[in-house]
Amino acid sequence: MKKRIVAVAAATAAALMLAGCASGDDASGGADAKDITLWLNGGDTPDALRDFLKTEYADATGGTLTIEEQSWTDALAKLTTALPDAENTPDVVEIGNTWAPTFTNAGAFTDLSDMYDELGGDKLLPSFVEVGSVDDKQYALPYYFGSRYMFYRKDVWEKAGITVPTTLAEFNDAAAKLTTDGQSGFYIGGEDWRNGVSWIFANGGELAVKDGDDWKSSLSDPKTVEGLTQLQTLFADASLAPVTEADSTPWVNINNNESTGAPEAATIIAPGWAHWSIGDPSPDPKDATKVVNTWNDATFGTFVLPGIDGGVAPVFAGGSNIAISAASKKQDSAKALMKIVFSEEYQKMLGENGLGPANLDYASSLGDDQFATALIDSAAESKLTPAAPGWAAVEGSGLLEEFFGKVNGGGDVEALAEEYDKKIDELING
Amino acid sequence: MRARTARTLWGALAIAVALVWVFPVYWMVNSSLLPNVTLQSFIPTFVPLGGSFGNFTAALADGEFYAALGMSVSITLIAVFFCLIFAFLGAVAISRFRFRGRKSFVIAVLVVQMLPAEGLFIAQYKMVASAHLLDSVVGVSIIYIAAVVPFTIWMLRGFVAGVPADLEEAAMVDGLSRFGAFMRITFPLLAPGLVASGVYAFLQAWNEFTVALVLLPSESAQTLPLWLRGFVQASATRETDWGQVMAASTLVAVPVIVFFLIVQGRLTSGLVSGAVKG
Amino acid sequence: MTATVDRRRSNRAPYLLLIPAVGILLVGMGYPLVWQVVTSTQEYGLQQQFGKAAPFVFLDNYLELASKPAFWAVVAKSIAFCLVTAGLTLGVGVLLALLMNAVGKAPRIILQISLLLAWSMPVVAAMTVWIWLFDRRRGAVNFLLDLVPGVDMNRFNWLETPATFFLVASVIVIWMSVPFVAFSTFAGLTQVSDEVLEAAQLDGATGRQRFFGIILPMIKPVIAIVFLLQIIWDLRVFTQITMLQDAGSKSSEFDLLGTYIYKLGTKSQDFGMASAVSILVLAITILLSWFYIRSLLKEDEQ
Repeated sequence: MKKRIVAVAAATAAALMLAGCASGDDASGGADAKDITLWLNGGDTPDALRDFLKTEYADATGGTLTIEEQSWTDALAKLTTALPDAENTPDVVEIGNTWAPTFTNAGAFTDLSDMYDELGGDKLLPSFVEVGSVDDKQYALPYYFGSRYMFYRKDVWEKAGITVPTTLAEFNDAAAKLTTDGQSGFYIGGEDWRNGVSWIFANGGELAVKDGDDWKSSLSDPKTVEGLTQLQTLFADASLAPVTEADSTPWVNINNNESTGAPEAATIIAPGWAHWSIGDPSPDPKDATKVVNTWNDATFGTFVLPGIDGGVAPVFAGGSNIAISAASKKQDSAKALMKIVFSEEYQKMLGENGLGPANLDYASSLGDDQFATALIDSAAESKLTPAAPGWAAVEGSGLLEEFFGKVNGGGDVEALAEEYDKKIDELING
Repeated sequence: MRARTARTLWGALAIAVALVWVFPVYWMVNSSLLPNVTLQSFIPTFVPLGGSFGNFTAALADGEFYAALGMSVSITLIAVFFCLIFAFLGAVAISRFRFRGRKSFVIAVLVVQMLPAEGLFIAQYKMVASAHLLDSVVGVSIIYIAAVVPFTIWMLRGFVAGVPADLEEAAMVDGLSRFGAFMRITFPLLAPGLVASGVYAFLQAWNEFTVALVLLPSESAQTLPLWLRGFVQASATRETDWGQVMAASTLVAVPVIVFFLIVQGRLTSGLVSGAVKG
Repeated sequence: MTATVDRRRSNRAPYLLLIPAVGILLVGMGYPLVWQVVTSTQEYGLQQQFGKAAPFVFLDNYLELASKPAFWAVVAKSIAFCLVTAGLTLGVGVLLALLMNAVGKAPRIILQISLLLAWSMPVVAAMTVWIWLFDRRRGAVNFLLDLVPGVDMNRFNWLETPATFFLVASVIVIWMSVPFVAFSTFAGLTQVSDEVLEAAQLDGATGRQRFFGIILPMIKPVIAIVFLLQIIWDLRVFTQITMLQDAGSKSSEFDLLGTYIYKLGTKSQDFGMASAVSILVLAITILLSWFYIRSLLKEDEQ
């Protein structure tokens, strides 16, 4: 008995010592007014760019930049608790563009209006600037933009004798014709509103509009209903995806399925970065257990979703904003980092890595291959989610997934639109 | 004869149940030995022929596992140690004594366990942050101890009540002090109960996610569940490597299973004495 | 069973002994609990996190909740899920305990070890594996069921409809919870005297009569507390449901109380409402376990 007590006490003492070592407590005090923390979401910003920021920041201020990566699913909880806390807030944060209005309206970010022109002013992507502004003051500025466009199997399309569509109606028809028992003409999940909303936008509809000082959900607007009905038909005729699926790993559906030798779908819609994973599989030269997919122009192709009357359909713009935490005690250092982010060099690096730079002057750094062209063309017409104070709550509630799922499940579009307008209105104004 | 056949049949059934029950654990280990490519296939592979430890090497590659392991071990051991002590004292108090407020305390202990934890994280963050204990082992441990103490008091209460006070009285008649009687007679009989409660507290602390997520915001201070979560997140530039996820899961599960197998002998005898007193 | 103690000598002793436990509970739970009760009477959203004052709305949050049919639907589903899952866990657990008791040493140890492995697997790890097993395209479950002649499970999406979704959730929770029940009950069974059972058998009592007449009453206390704990845990089940939703659909028809609170709080930043739901869940749990609490308190009186 005694031995066990001693053993336990020893273990605890060891644990306490480990605790002292493991504690990430950094020294407080003015010494590190120049050491700041940047929170990035997911793996979107490549390592090369992160290293660049760290070296440039050290050169410019002599301080250390720590970059912490947050997962998209958990970021909301962490931002909610950390941003208001002056002692522990990250100094600069990447904030998803759909969350930017909510946090900006809540007062989470520093007013950057006086730096706005210096950082790029009018050249910064306007729609992204808008979601980060309140009363004509800029708080969260664009960081990078992405866009979505179509990837298709040239071999499947050619076999069916169908050419790349130039209007939305042609696309809807083509997708239906290409569908067989085992293959979707166009793969889209029933609850996938981020992609499905393109049909609403293409028909001139909106998710919500500002009416005076308040936002109102506009799912029942006739143009929105028109778009939803089109989507409903398209889903029924062309997609074999489950009606409850919200996000699917895009390239899984367009690459060949190795048991059947054929793809799950003839066409998919995906964010631009998906192209790195689309192609013919072959063993990774660096690691035989991994597979690398190499793009093959004969089999795979891209096009932008066409609009109702030709041209380009508005799609949902992906991307993030970037902002300085209002509670941060290191405002000057944070601003120094912002200048680096918006510098010509960094903006070009974003473009070279397939991330649309915030400053449109440098959009050419994206290149001129088919992917860059598709990205730029689709982004030019792209739209964001409503810049409403409560939009993050609407997204978090899952109402849009639910609504789209029911529409694609074959429900009465108008009745559902009215029902969900009411539910969304409860949350949208924060 | 019939009894023996029956026994053999039941034995076979037990083994069959065991195999079915352990299948997910087997699946985890099986998948951890296969490369992601094979796992992505639409035909599941049931036996890892030609598999390798590649996923394990990859999961351990950046060294973050060891830091997370250190955090988890520290927090869990501290939480278990203090939880046992506090709960034990509390259990003795409510089983051995009659005093005013006893009933209220018993009810409070029961009721406190019934509160859902999902809504508390904001308050917990504010509290821990204002005490400058974010990213620390101590901050998280305090929350964990408070979380498991109620159930542990409940469990130990039965064990303490199961040892008749007469034994102590008898020892005191023989000349021992009250405290001495307690340590010499009662305490040893409680050891299995302490082990049983300790195991439960260990599991709770080891697997906890939400509180850890919020109270340990820095990447440098992660526990194993947070570390594991990182593997499941796909991102723009890399999709989820399921082989690595399984290898990481196995790594997280192994210390628990080892701990469990060590103490399981004590556990059964522990549950025996405590159970009847419920 | 009840302690006899010299009241005069130990007047202060119990209080001293309780100080650490009460202390840690006040520190770790006290402030959060009070915060939760107070917040449930306020309008508290993201803006309040950043400093805006939180207006008191007293019982409005509760009233608003009570008038939402969606809320009651989630409550009903949660109670149903909880009772079914806890009930089945109890049933299977007790049966496995009886099985453990009836077999020889080797099969018993094998069964116990396999249950131990299941019990000690961390939830995050276990959920990842289970979701993988039920994956509609690559899952082993569909693959194996498909092998049964006449059954076509190819691409069957378990997470598509609430019925099959909660079936999967229930299976997983039962798988995770049975070991605890089985071990506790087994421990209780080893206390049942073999002689009494043999005597009863000689007197002509059937297996069923022996079980219901002798065994069950003796293990009743164990079963009671274990059942209570299962009800408390299964009513608040969160991690399993949220991870299944991530893999399936986030639509509210797949919500139970745990995820409902999480969506209100973390996801929609309506912390006032989330706190109100939490307090209501507390109330419901007390209601569900009222009989047990009363019998416990009565037992204490004796």
